[in-house]
Amino acid sequence: MTLWHALSRTKLYWGLIIIFSIGVGFSPVTSRGTNIFLSYGNLTDVLRQVSITGLVAVGMTMVILTGGIDLSVGSVMAFGSVITGMLLTQPGWTPAAIVGAPVLAAVAFVAVAGLVQFVRKQLARQNGVAIGHRAASAPGGITALALPASAGLAAAVLAFWYAAAQVAPKFSVPGVLLVAPAVGLAVGALTGVIIVVGRLQPFIVTLAMMVSTLGIARLTAGQDSAVLPVYPGSNATPDFDLLRSMLWGVLPVPGLFFISAIILFGALLSLTTFGRYVYAIGGNEEATRLSGIGVDRVKIATYAFSGLLACLAGVLYVAQYRQGKPDAGSGLELDAIAAVVIGGTSLMGGRGGLSGTLVGVFIFGLLSDILQLHNINSNLQLVLKGAIIVVTVLVQERNLADIGQRFLFVGTRAGRSGSAVRSDLPPEKQQSII
Amino acid sequence: MNGQSGADPSENEHRDGRRAGRRGAPVLEACRIGKRFGPVTVLHEVGFQLDAGEVLALVGENGAGKSTLMKIVAGVLGQDEGEVRVDGAPVRFHGVLDAEHAGIAIIHQELNLVQELSVAANIFLGREPKLAGLVIDKRAMVKAAQALLARLGIAIDPEAKAGSLRIGEQQTVEIAKALSLDARALIMDEPTSALSSAECATLFKVIAQLTTAGVAIVYISHRMDEVIALADRVMVLRDGRHVLTAPIAETSRDQIIKAMVGRALAPTARAGVANTNPVMLSVEGLWADVATRHGRKRVIDDITFDVRAGEVFGIAGLLGSGRTEILETIFAASDRLSGGSVRVAGREVAIRDPRAAKALGFAFVPEDRKSKGLLIDMSISANVVLPSLETLSRFSIRTRGRESRTAREAIEALRIRCAGPGQAAKSLSGGNQQKVVMAKWLATRPRILLLDEPTRGIDVGAKQEIYDLVFELAAEGLAIVVVSSELPEVLALADRILVMCEGRSAGILSRQEASEEGVMALASPPARLDPSLGRLSA
Repeated sequence: MTLWHALSRTKLYWGLIIIFSIGVGFSPVTSRGTNIFLSYGNLTDVLRQVSITGLVAVGMTMVILTGGIDLSVGSVMAFGSVITGMLLTQPGWTPAAIVGAPVLAAVAFVAVAGLVQFVRKQLARQNGVAIGHRAASAPGGITALALPASAGLAAAVLAFWYAAAQVAPKFSVPGVLLVAPAVGLAVGALTGVIIVVGRLQPFIVTLAMMVSTLGIARLTAGQDSAVLPVYPGSNATPDFDLLRSMLWGVLPVPGLFFISAIILFGALLSLTTFGRYVYAIGGNEEATRLSGIGVDRVKIATYAFSGLLACLAGVLYVAQYRQGKPDAGSGLELDAIAAVVIGGTSLMGGRGGLSGTLVGVFIFGLLSDILQLHNINSNLQLVLKGAIIVVTVLVQERNLADIGQRFLFVGTRAGRSGSAVRSDLPPEKQQSII
Repeated sequence: MNGQSGADPSENEHRDGRRAGRRGAPVLEACRIGKRFGPVTVLHEVGFQLDAGEVLALVGENGAGKSTLMKIVAGVLGQDEGEVRVDGAPVRFHGVLDAEHAGIAIIHQELNLVQELSVAANIFLGREPKLAGLVIDKRAMVKAAQALLARLGIAIDPEAKAGSLRIGEQQTVEIAKALSLDARALIMDEPTSALSSAECATLFKVIAQLTTAGVAIVYISHRMDEVIALADRVMVLRDGRHVLTAPIAETSRDQIIKAMVGRALAPTARAGVANTNPVMLSVEGLWADVATRHGRKRVIDDITFDVRAGEVFGIAGLLGSGRTEILETIFAASDRLSGGSVRVAGREVAIRDPRAAKALGFAFVPEDRKSKGLLIDMSISANVVLPSLETLSRFSIRTRGRESRTAREAIEALRIRCAGPGQAAKSLSGGNQQKVVMAKWLATRPRILLLDEPTRGIDVGAKQEIYDLVFELAAEGLAIVVVSSELPEVLALADRILVMCEGRSAGILSRQEASEEGVMALASPPARLDPSLGRLSA
């Protein structure tokens, strides 16, 4: 039974191993006998291809862990791609610059002021009474806010100046890498605030955000230029090509972003109080709130992170496809949710994590890669994707033993004690309602 | 084989002319019923017999297994061992519907009416008379409901919404529903816990009518007077075991209580020391409103009291009298609109949310530990450190060493019986779960402890441990507010008792002044349910 147990415990990775084995086993082979699937180029391509969905799935994992959902990520990613494309190719106060510069300043203000305040509070606690006693409360009134506010203001001015300086020429790549995620963070935070303040269901609010962000992305792109090509001669080349190149000839840069996000947010989830609160909220939001935890800010933060990662994915999208497109993200949210769910994270919240999401993302990535290597019809790919979702989630959610029992013994046993078997039905009808 | 129940049929033979001449298989019989919830065995081989037209009172402390036994008999739960028989034939219910078909109906302590539907619709829910098998025949339904209610002698408009009725009236609707099922055995789980004395009187009349008509009744209650007045026989459960079944005439109040408690009830009352500590919590003119569809409704109003450091302050009252709401309002646990002044150690405070309350040194152990107190799927350790996680970490980076030390200390200090800090909270018994909730708050080093029903649904032993803990904490100087629906508990624990009645304070009694009768008298609202003034049907 221990083998069974071990299989059950590591079931998360079995799907990945199985699909990898299938890939190797059925891979086309070159005339010189090399396995194309296993070739380095192919595997790094997989990593490159999953990175955009992967980044989005990282944010989605955190939102789902709190028991929420974020349907707006596709639109936010597309909005990010539009902003990126526009900033890189069009000089002057374009719509993207008008949105981007002030938002960057505002985000800088909040981030720096918050950080200063946080450090001050922590220092007060460390220097204050011994651990376990109530921390000496920080001095109240306006003086308490002066330091963080002025630090935040300085950061905001600096950020605005930095952005404004790039408006007249075109934005540099680092500029874009700051502005786009800042916009995503702001959009996500807004989503979170609406959910928390309005006490609305995340599904509905993010659905609304998905629709209106798509509209905003189209408005930003302008009516006739729904697609913003990033052409040679703009700032896109050669700097921007770095974002799609191979790092040291080894690791594709989008993959680097994805892996870094997994590590960074994985650490956030497992090592910090924030991470524990995310799980606690998903486990029982009311009990967490009644434990005196700022549930609202944690929830807002998860949506903000989700927006940030989605917009960052938008930047990578532009690097990859050389264009910013308002419709780029259609269906992305579902891919991300599917990857999260395949990774064993419960849609009810409180259970799962980023290691699962990593697996989920790669199961999808390897699957499409295998199918592409065999030139299988892309519509058939969709069908297979759907099947994979059902099968893996079935394996995740149930005990393997449970499934075995259900599928193998359905004909011979009426079910385990306590299951919903109605004895008033004739035996042949009993199976159907198990 | 039915020896466990102790109810030898012959011992009833000479009693009570009402049932003379009828003998046969009992209407309802339970044999050696056993039930476990996870690791906890809540019923050990318990059984009883119920004859037509009799009232069997079922008593026992909270957690004794009364409700569980009745839920098994009524098909709500399945048993792990034993057998239920109806008219002598073994049955196995797979849901309430099965039991209802067999003529067994249960009226739960928490009423189960659909608030938005009419009285008639509730009575016939799922069995609506239909025209041509399709459309609900509303007129026939109302008429039938009227007839049922008339049979009970109650003036309730069958077309009124269930939610608009008083609790007592809703209860009679439940009874009417049971009657409409042609129930031959009716189980009532603490039907009077929320009723005024006038409403109780009406209920008793209904019960008398039912028994005359041959309906057998199992009556669960905490109130000895009712049990003695109503029941033909009494059965006592303790810790899931059967201890006594006897005709009322052959037993006494003291005997029953002794059987319930397993010892003569000696409250572990502390010496009533004059408390000269400074006032820790001071509440003045506290009120709270809930939003209803018809605007706002005041749930508590003008509540004023002080609690000193080291004092245990009790709040008593009937169900729905606003006991819990006081604690929730102080702790800002709900988003009710509220006002009034709260002072902590003499300083006026504004508490916006539980976070602010925690920072001021409040701790709140909620009534419903599963939905509000625990992360039920997570470990003991995760639960214990949750509220104090911020203080246990450095720059928000968690320090596992401190966390596990806190958890281990809590397990030891509160004697939480478990395999280790990593055990999941859901696999603990109720008493140990409650200790985990207490522990998580004690880890925050609170100054003021708000306890809502601290011993609900836990066994007697664990109860005593919780009481001891409360006294210990009071001795350490905490100000403690205890809300309980069990009067003996409040009387045993509290130095002073605030008695609530319909959202208002009916008075504050000191330990010396307080008695069970005195508190009940204050807590009972003046009689209001007069049939001639009630909503008249047609």
